[in-house]
Amino acid sequence: MATHQQTQPPSDFPALADENSQIPEATKPANEVQQATIAQDPPTSVFKNSEPIREDQIQNAIKFLSHPRVRGSPVIHRRSFLERKGLTKEEIDEAFRRVPDPPPSSQTTVTTSQDGQQAVSTVQPQAMQPVVAAPAPLIVTPQAAFLSRFRWYHAILAVGVLAASGAGTAVFIKRSLIPRFKSWVQRIMLEEETDPLKKADAKPSLAEEAVAAAKAASAAASDVARVSQEMMITKNEERKYFEDLTHLLGVQVQEMKSLSNNIRKLEGQSNNIPKIYSADQEVYNGSVTTARKPYTNGSNVDYDTRSARSASPPAAPADSSAPPHPKSYMDIMSMIQRGEKPSNIREINDMPPNPNQPLSDPRIAPKSKPWDYGQAPQDESSNGQWWQQKNPRSTDFGYETTTAARFTANQNETSTMEPAAFQRQRSWVPPQPPPVAMAEAVEAIRRPKPQAKIDQEAAASDGQSGVSDELQKITKFSESGGDGSGGIKIAEIQEETEQQHISQEGN
Amino acid sequence: MPVFKAPFNGYSVKFSPFYESRLAVATAQNFGILGNGRIHVLELAPGAPGVTESVSYDTADAVYDVCWSESHDSVLIAAIGDGSVKIYDTALPPPSNPIRSFQEHAREVQSVDYNPTRRDSFLTSSWDDTVKLWAMDRPASVRTFKEHAYCVYQAVWNPKHGDVFASASGDCTLRIWDVREPGSTMIIPAHDFEILSCDWNKYDDCILATSSVDKTVKVWDVRSYRVPLAVLNGHGYAVRKVKFSPHRRSLIASCSYDMSVCLWDYMVEDALVGRYDHHTEFAVGIDMSVLVEGLMASTGWDELVYVWQQGMDPRAS
Repeated sequence: MATHQQTQPPSDFPALADENSQIPEATKPANEVQQATIAQDPPTSVFKNSEPIREDQIQNAIKFLSHPRVRGSPVIHRRSFLERKGLTKEEIDEAFRRVPDPPPSSQTTVTTSQDGQQAVSTVQPQAMQPVVAAPAPLIVTPQAAFLSRFRWYHAILAVGVLAASGAGTAVFIKRSLIPRFKSWVQRIMLEEETDPLKKADAKPSLAEEAVAAAKAASAAASDVARVSQEMMITKNEERKYFEDLTHLLGVQVQEMKSLSNNIRKLEGQSNNIPKIYSADQEVYNGSVTTARKPYTNGSNVDYDTRSARSASPPAAPADSSAPPHPKSYMDIMSMIQRGEKPSNIREINDMPPNPNQPLSDPRIAPKSKPWDYGQAPQDESSNGQWWQQKNPRSTDFGYETTTAARFTANQNETSTMEPAAFQRQRSWVPPQPPPVAMAEAVEAIRRPKPQAKIDQEAAASDGQSGVSDELQKITKFSESGGDGSGGIKIAEIQEETEQQHISQEGN
Repeated sequence: MPVFKAPFNGYSVKFSPFYESRLAVATAQNFGILGNGRIHVLELAPGAPGVTESVSYDTADAVYDVCWSESHDSVLIAAIGDGSVKIYDTALPPPSNPIRSFQEHAREVQSVDYNPTRRDSFLTSSWDDTVKLWAMDRPASVRTFKEHAYCVYQAVWNPKHGDVFASASGDCTLRIWDVREPGSTMIIPAHDFEILSCDWNKYDDCILATSSVDKTVKVWDVRSYRVPLAVLNGHGYAVRKVKFSPHRRSLIASCSYDMSVCLWDYMVEDALVGRYDHHTEFAVGIDMSVLVEGLMASTGWDELVYVWQQGMDPRAS
């Protein structure tokens, strides 16, 4: 079975060639290793996605891939985006097949039909090819590709128009808005720096300036609003691009923010406020190459710095919910940002003194896992050690009891209980079998046991064993002070039956 | 319950699958940003609760993860910040260690996992966006799995199928792989933010848990992977590691940047069944003993390693 799977090359392989170029060589050694094992999986593994291709998802992907801004981004980012949207590999491959990367954009109008035909030929069986009489491909899917291409051609025109108007607005913004914004920023800064020690005399004139700036800013804002209204009216499609424009505006605002930061630095007023922020930012921006970015610390979703994806979800929530780092962490961060190396770092040679050093002989054989034979292994050598002792109270009041009760409440639908989990709670534990050197032997010896137990229990009528168990419980509870509620008793009895159920299933 | 104080910030702790009293701990200086690393091998003292260090190994760069060999009781493997993977044999004198060092990953190695069923190979995952498969007796990696678009924070073998593993990545997807296949066999867009960790259910080989920067743990079934089986809310910050119990089907442990270690039963209504607030900085590493039911260990940026029984207070002495 396994060999069959290996030798069968995946149908989507050519489409992935650019990303997975190393796989053909790599699979070879993997197969060598693989030969040592016995395949356990049936031909159709549950771990392999077997869902049929969803045409609507492919259409969405095609729309996405046909977007001119998307086309320029690296393949892996386009794939990653679609994966995050829940598309399967097969769907993504299909979408990529239908939207091949275009030749230089100036020729797109000419080559469109050719492209469309290329898409056709890859999908169509070969016998169809002579019939390619130009306009109407016979299959539905290529037609869809052709259609989207047609729309895209329209989109190009629209983009041209919009780019012109957008550029106009951008120029407008740069000429009028930015200078006003700058003065506004200055004002803000001065307001922040309220301490009277500095520049107290400069205030009145600056206040006037600030008022003027505010007026100018509001005027500019109304200008923008007017422009935006005009644009809204023009076309439905344009609205979409206007959103891009507003996004651009946002970017500009961001630029201005960084500008204001720079100004603060220049004026030397930044001693107290934004130090940590700027330090952080610069480290994250990679200006310090020796320090590694703390990727997994969860405080920074700096995914965008590398991915360049265009339609990314905002990363803002992560910022606001960033965990507070310890102070010393910040110290080290700022130290590295200053280009200093923490003094506690030593030079250590951690290379193997003898790269051919053989492993020492193993002293004990591997142990089987509890999930492989359904019972917790118990090491006879350390029975009764402190780390094996449960909190005596926990069986009555703590987590153990509550979950046990919950388990039983749930067991009708799910039968989730683990026999091993409750073995220890009983008053009597059967003595452990002597240790065996080989894991296989352990399994062979221990496996039949539950079967025998079940047979016994099955032979005895349900009522009998139930009664005896119940008696046992009652004695146990009376011994422990009788504080257990009826509910717990019931839970434990049910647990018994559940256990039988499971072990029967297991065999 | 015993506490071990390490000189560096804790990143990972693992119980030995051979000796129930033995643990390995991975630590990194200066929070793993820049500096040395150290691997500690700890021994739980018999008699009174206590823990002692039996040996430690220094590394030039941070150690982000360790794992024990499943075939050799004395062998452990370390994932290092300089991209190297190092193998240590605790039965040999310390100056003979490490016995191997593989320099293949282009960036920090974030996780290492030994194959529990075949017992002859292990996986490493790295910030270079790849997962690598290694065999103990080979001088170089067997294979590289490159599909993720961002750092791969963890790669874990399936507990029943020796060829199947899962990988959790900062590209917000969880991938399922079969080493007999040329590429990943399933892509699950499990979270909207980076996925930091994943683990398989030990009693149902189709069920996985993932943890993410979005503060949640999610439970997935590969047979119907479009919607999670459960979403576990309760952590206050990113959930750094998630682990299924080796003894109970539906029990999950997790640790978070909110400094807590949580226990969950994903099959019940109130899934949060236990919470431990013993760490005073980010809780980064957890493990549950395969050999002793209920025995847990955790470590974090407070440089402390705790070992305790479920239901007890880790700080109680």
